[in-house]
Amino acid sequence: MKTTRRCDGVTRRDFVRVGGLTALGLGLGNFLGLQRLLAESKAQLIPRAKSCILIWLDGGPSHLESFDPKPDAPREVRGPMASIPTKLNGVRLGECLENTAAIMDKVAIVRSMTSPLGEHNFGTQYMMTGYKPSPALAYPTMGATLAHLRSQMGVLPSNVAVPAFPNQVSGAGYLPGSVSPFSVGGNPGRRSFSVRDLDFYAGLDLARLDRRLEFVNAINAFGDAKDASKSTPTDPDLERAYNLIANPEAKRAFTLSDEPEALRQRYGGLDSGNNIGQSCLLARRLVERGVPFVTVNSNGWDTHQDIIHLKARHAKDKNALLPSLDRAFATLVQDLSDRGMLEETLVVVMGEFGRTPKINSNAGRDHWPNCFSVALAGGGIQGGQVVGSSDALGEFPKERPITPSDLAATIYTLLGIDPATELQTPDGRPVRVTPNGSKIVSELV
Amino acid sequence: MKQIVTLLIALACGVVQSPASDRVDFVNDVMPVLTKVGCNTGACHGSAAGRGNFKLSLYGGNPQADYEAIVREISGRRINLQKPEESLIILKPTFAIDHGGKFLLDDDDDGTQLLLRWIQEGAEKVTHRELERVEFTPRTYFIEKTDVDVQLRAEAFYADGSSQDVTPWTVFSAEDSSAVRIDKDSAVATPLRGGRHIITARYLDSVAPIEIVIPLSDKPVDLAGQPRRNFIDDEVLSRLATLRLPVSPQADDSTFIRRVSLDLTGRLPEADKVMAYLANQDQNKNGELIDELVQTDAFNEYWSYKLAKWLRMGKDPNDENGIATYRLWLSNQIEKGVGYNEIARTLILATGDTHNIGPANFYRTVDGPREQAEFVSELFMGSRLRCANCHNHPLDKWTQDDYHGLASIFSKIENAQIVRVRASGDVIHPRTREPAVARIPGEYYLKDKTQDGREDLAEWLTAEDNPYFAKAIVNRLWSSLMGRGLVEPVDDMRDTNPATHPKLLNRLAEDFAASGYRLRPMLKRIATSATYARSSNTVPGNAEDDRYYSHALRRPLEAEVLADGISYVLNVPAQYGGKAPGQRAVTLVDLYTPSRTLDILGRCGREESCESETSISGGLTRNLHLLNGELINARISREEGRLARFFDADTAPMDIIDELYLVALSRKPVGATRRFWREQLANVESVEQQQGLLEDFLWSLLASSKFNSK
Repeated sequence: MKTTRRCDGVTRRDFVRVGGLTALGLGLGNFLGLQRLLAESKAQLIPRAKSCILIWLDGGPSHLESFDPKPDAPREVRGPMASIPTKLNGVRLGECLENTAAIMDKVAIVRSMTSPLGEHNFGTQYMMTGYKPSPALAYPTMGATLAHLRSQMGVLPSNVAVPAFPNQVSGAGYLPGSVSPFSVGGNPGRRSFSVRDLDFYAGLDLARLDRRLEFVNAINAFGDAKDASKSTPTDPDLERAYNLIANPEAKRAFTLSDEPEALRQRYGGLDSGNNIGQSCLLARRLVERGVPFVTVNSNGWDTHQDIIHLKARHAKDKNALLPSLDRAFATLVQDLSDRGMLEETLVVVMGEFGRTPKINSNAGRDHWPNCFSVALAGGGIQGGQVVGSSDALGEFPKERPITPSDLAATIYTLLGIDPATELQTPDGRPVRVTPNGSKIVSELV
Repeated sequence: MKQIVTLLIALACGVVQSPASDRVDFVNDVMPVLTKVGCNTGACHGSAAGRGNFKLSLYGGNPQADYEAIVREISGRRINLQKPEESLIILKPTFAIDHGGKFLLDDDDDGTQLLLRWIQEGAEKVTHRELERVEFTPRTYFIEKTDVDVQLRAEAFYADGSSQDVTPWTVFSAEDSSAVRIDKDSAVATPLRGGRHIITARYLDSVAPIEIVIPLSDKPVDLAGQPRRNFIDDEVLSRLATLRLPVSPQADDSTFIRRVSLDLTGRLPEADKVMAYLANQDQNKNGELIDELVQTDAFNEYWSYKLAKWLRMGKDPNDENGIATYRLWLSNQIEKGVGYNEIARTLILATGDTHNIGPANFYRTVDGPREQAEFVSELFMGSRLRCANCHNHPLDKWTQDDYHGLASIFSKIENAQIVRVRASGDVIHPRTREPAVARIPGEYYLKDKTQDGREDLAEWLTAEDNPYFAKAIVNRLWSSLMGRGLVEPVDDMRDTNPATHPKLLNRLAEDFAASGYRLRPMLKRIATSATYARSSNTVPGNAEDDRYYSHALRRPLEAEVLADGISYVLNVPAQYGGKAPGQRAVTLVDLYTPSRTLDILGRCGREESCESETSISGGLTRNLHLLNGELINARISREEGRLARFFDADTAPMDIIDELYLVALSRKPVGATRRFWREQLANVESVEQQQGLLEDFLWSLLASSKFNSK
């Protein structure tokens, strides 16, 4: 009866050390403002990308079946799938990525990612925050940092997860809870999809909610002393919810049925059980409306058994993980390009690590952080290239090893954030956005 | 100063001192070099799969295997007896040839020289003496201010009576590297911030914490006048004095009665109880209140729920019979005040039909002996053995023998509906590939294979001198009432994760054992302390304290308690799953009864042991639901509800506000707050408008952070 889709039961609480009350927005109102002020005093770079869509392949996707096939390796490394040529001379992809192969001129692949952390939570933390996890401090994910440093443009949340953020990860880290990702919930893959609680409860209207908000603030302001204090601390989370409810135009972002049917079919997976396609479509609608960071979370990549299931789980399977990813990613990149948004939208495809080069006794692959791949497109990166390479077996980087810290520094830079920017922890100490020593991958920028 | 002098003498005499012989000792001289340089860390050759086809045991836990790997594997190419300086084990770390781990050792480094000498002497598995223990100094160190150097030191003691300074071969690492800077070469630690910092010292596979304490302010604080009601206050105030943290005053009566009622019974205090308590002038009214609360049915219900969470009850939703029997049994134990040692014993030894015998369901919580071993050690020992599945625990004393030995104790358990002990059953030790020998972790092997090892385990675990059992539960109880464990996380007790107040933890554990391991006296002890009764409002200088209890830590209500609280204030019951309306959420036998309300309010997940109550759904989801969802809106104006009844009785609007404040927050609005509500009421004219305003008021009360925390 395991509900976790990963192979171990390590949970988020292991990593939560800071800010236990922030989910309730207690007492951090001023702190939030203060931090923004501090952050803004730092020089910011000119962003190439306004927004980032992170397609997160939860569980650890196999690099050997996707972005780094080894057609010449022995059978136990090569695995059961073939490879295909791409638009780029000499660059091959796994056989399931045919749509991606056709847009390789827009895509950059890093084949020499390397990390020592082969456990799901540790790997996820490292990839999503750019920091190796530490018992002393929970680091913020890239989406949270971006939400924190960018002043919120509209009423849509700045950091959104579709359909839900991996719940083992503390999104905000040491930053205020208000920048943790908003999980839209539900199943975007269904035609009936909607985000709950966006419309007024029967009998309520904006004026009533307005008054309710005022009253909550009045009650919260009333301290344990016998009098109401002069200041009225507001509950920022409640206020953000109110602002969203009050804005019909913003709420339309979540109405996937506004999209033409043909485009929805191209993204794929409608009512199929695999919602990565429609999630990517929702992500596009969100960045179109100015949301800076959207995480599309795809489950099930922890393939300890039957690696072939990535391609098809039964004879007529059209919605296995790799073909679904291929449709979703390639369509998203093309769609963004068609709309003239690709230059300002960075798309990143990654998971917490790769998989063991040798197929195991269950015809699957186990965790392998020593070498894996990440794909990027848009956001001002130089497409049509492969950065770094792995050795003959995909076991270790052969040239240009790149760490998750380096990748994070690169993503931040593309988004206009200097990796040396300092944020403040609740106890007032400065922490860099990415660790000292992290290096920008210059080929991408 | 003295320490530095000692170290200098040791250094001057040369690092390698082998009184027994001059030959290099593989275990005691060579292995420490590999550990210090980092060859055998988890990221390098110490990983389970090794690295570059060279695998060492993690942190040198298995010298025999490491010797084989260095000397025998790949046809002995790692060692070149003819040309020692061309051995791979020299060429690689000195980066004379390409090395994935890059450059680690200078050619003239002591470590390099030592390795060379060992190879020159034949690369044999020479060992002169057996390491008995390592002493790290200082263990705890108080300094007045930051930026003062602290010399760290390690000395190894051997079975033959000899000793050696092993500081140069000891790895010192700060838990928080931004708080303490450590110079690797000199082993000098420099604290950069005030507070209490932990440095982990490792020599071979011996690890120990070093604690450095620096006051958080320049000015001493005067805590002499602070109330002391029992030993808890003595210990906490002593720590605060050392750290020079000023303390917040005692909480006011309304705050206290609400907090202690929620903590001991999971319920809001009823309005008339609050009024009586506020009016009571007796000096000992807190004590009386606590005595009364621990005797209520609500106490039994709530602590059954708390323990059910720790026991992760409700694992198998397809077998409600078992869970129901289990929960009923647990409630009976709590009600009768059965000692926690007895409870543990019964659980560990349980067998039989899980539909009739409640505790037998203990073996249905997880599947498999290894999982059972992890569960039992986390629950009853507050220790995480998980790491020791694949390798000896790098930060603790647990070995693979401990892990698989404990698992072996459970290997004969069959956990179908009827739990029984089979005649045989094994757990394969991954290193020996043989059945693991049953073992009491960290203690002794159970050689007799025919015996049910659970007897020995229960006996050992609940013995008065067991070092883990009482502390593990006491720490959880403390965390429940104080908002933070003395050891945090509560199931990660180990030497290298020491308690913030070690002496207090010991005294609590002794106190607990002395009163028969019963929950009530322990909870009363904590609740009657002045520490517990402190205000959560901060005073200048203690706002950032989150672990020394200079002020109370404001805590969110558990999802179930909050849901029950909302139903109570509205006076309209909720319905969970297919259960009868009105069943309170804390009494749900299956902790995972499907409920969006409980999920949104931050119910803990199935895989968690539920210590921290953080909402996973995120602030926006929760607040959207509060604003537009059914949780409050669907019930606020129901005719049987509290508000409708006030309307029916034509209660004056300001009285309604007073009453609702009292029910929800255990106080009445006064002063400016009261004026604020009066003004609001004055702004509306019709009865309908007035009722709408009062609805909005009640909604706001329930959505406020004042309500959903304690």
